Amino acid sequence: MRSERIPGAPAVPAAEGATRAVLQVRNLQAGYGDKVILRDVSFTLNDDDFFAIIGPSGAGKSTLIRCVNSLAYPRGGEILFNGRDLVRAAARELRAIRRNIGMIFQEFNLIERMSVMDNVLSGRLGYMGTFRSLFRLYSKEDIRQALILLDRVGLSEHLNKRVDRLSGGQRQRVGIARALIQNPKMLLVDEPTSALDPKIAREVMGLIREMARERRIPVLCNIHDVDLACAFCTRVIGLQDGVKKFEGPPDKLDKQALHDIYAMEVL
Amino acid sequence: MSAVAFDTLEERAAGLAREKQRGRRLRFTLYAAVLFMVAWSVKVIAVDDTDWSRILGASLLSTAKGFVDVDLSIVGDLWEPALDTLLMATVATLAGLVFSIPVAWLGAANITPLGRFSYVIGRFLMTMSRSVHEIVWGLIFVSAVGLGTLAGILAMAVRSIGFISKTIAEAIEDVDPKPIEAVRAVGGTRFQILIFAILPQVIPVFVGNMIFEWDINIRRSTILGLVGAGGLGLVLFRQMAMSNYGGVTTVILAILSLIIVGEVASHFARKAVI
Repeated sequence: MRSERIPGAPAVPAAEGATRAVLQVRNLQAGYGDKVILRDVSFTLNDDDFFAIIGPSGAGKSTLIRCVNSLAYPRGGEILFNGRDLVRAAARELRAIRRNIGMIFQEFNLIERMSVMDNVLSGRLGYMGTFRSLFRLYSKEDIRQALILLDRVGLSEHLNKRVDRLSGGQRQRVGIARALIQNPKMLLVDEPTSALDPKIAREVMGLIREMARERRIPVLCNIHDVDLACAFCTRVIGLQDGVKKFEGPPDKLDKQALHDIYAMEVL
Repeated sequence: MSAVAFDTLEERAAGLAREKQRGRRLRFTLYAAVLFMVAWSVKVIAVDDTDWSRILGASLLSTAKGFVDVDLSIVGDLWEPALDTLLMATVATLAGLVFSIPVAWLGAANITPLGRFSYVIGRFLMTMSRSVHEIVWGLIFVSAVGLGTLAGILAMAVRSIGFISKTIAEAIEDVDPKPIEAVRAVGGTRFQILIFAILPQVIPVFVGNMIFEWDINIRRSTILGLVGAGGLGLVLFRQMAMSNYGGVTTVILAILSLIIVGEVASHFARKAVI
């Protein structure tokens, strides 16, 4: 089950060693009321993959990412994360799954009035009980990890600053550290750069890719900037109006493919 | 000549003028009626009911003079009641805050534990606390726990719930949903969402309104002397009962200074928090 690929889905060349499927999405459907947001989307994410999901606004990119950790609820289909079905998971099991999935947000979603350190440590909440979280009793190991990560993302001088005093790029670095301290088995990244300027955007994408590679964490990343997507990802999924129009490596994403994905856009 | 031609411009203007005049007549009738009602009320309530001999006689001036003659001899006896008032207001505000937290939890639509059912209970408690006057709460608690500061503290605490819990509940309903999503995404429980995503956002509102309510409670505690709740209020009513009007003025000035002190303290406290 774990290493099996969806029949018909193109195989991804292995980087080094054997690859393993971490996430399998099958015939995913989502929507509310009469509105259909996703129709029969399927793909498989291996542990060395960096997927970029591209497509026009309203194509369902954000919903797709949010379905994967049940921040949005799918209508049908299967989402298998390390073989466990997320769609049918009960609340307790869902929390256990979520703590293994790190998420990086478009608008950082930090806790504004807390310090950089506290924000990063909040990534450990999924592992903590009620009492310990009430008094913020983080373990020594958690604090050690937070220091290592903050050093790695270049924020070791801002540990006790409140996050609302940081610049956009610094805030996203806090978001990255928070996702990684979960010790995740997969990263979901939702438009990580649209609130940032182009130079910082490339730095942030580079940091995400580097840290994911070091830890061999697969990444599923929404991104509307096609050039940025191609520069950093190993594979592109093109969505249009809730339908998967393209899947393949960035060098296969030619003019025709882009036209298919963005056909509805008036350029 | 058709009927339309008969309706000349002059005819229409005259018709409009007639209509206008009718409207004017109606308006003046209404004004006259209102004026009559006011005059009648004034006569019944103020003219007939007032002891004119007192106002027109010498007693008005002498009473006013009594108030102006500030009696400073009682200042020494005011320190302790002033401290009582301050402590009553503080304890009552803190107690009100403690009661307000569960009420706000019930009455905030986005986190209320049992949906519509608990929401309605929360909102009902808020309205009940606010719609009963502090004096009435005072009377209720005096009959429950007897005369003294405890009754006053409980009255103010219960009266404070309405305002504090309502503003907290509204702040909770207005929180930014992004941190909530983040805590859910790391596998947080509902309780952790409350502590990490919602609480940090409402703390400024929480503290700001608590300081404001404390300020109000200083004023309230002076009035609650009326039901025997101690503090400066009790001294005020005692001076009044003794017809020592100079003393009444002194107590009022003491209350005023206390409120000014509270105002200054709350200004700096709010600055420190927000």
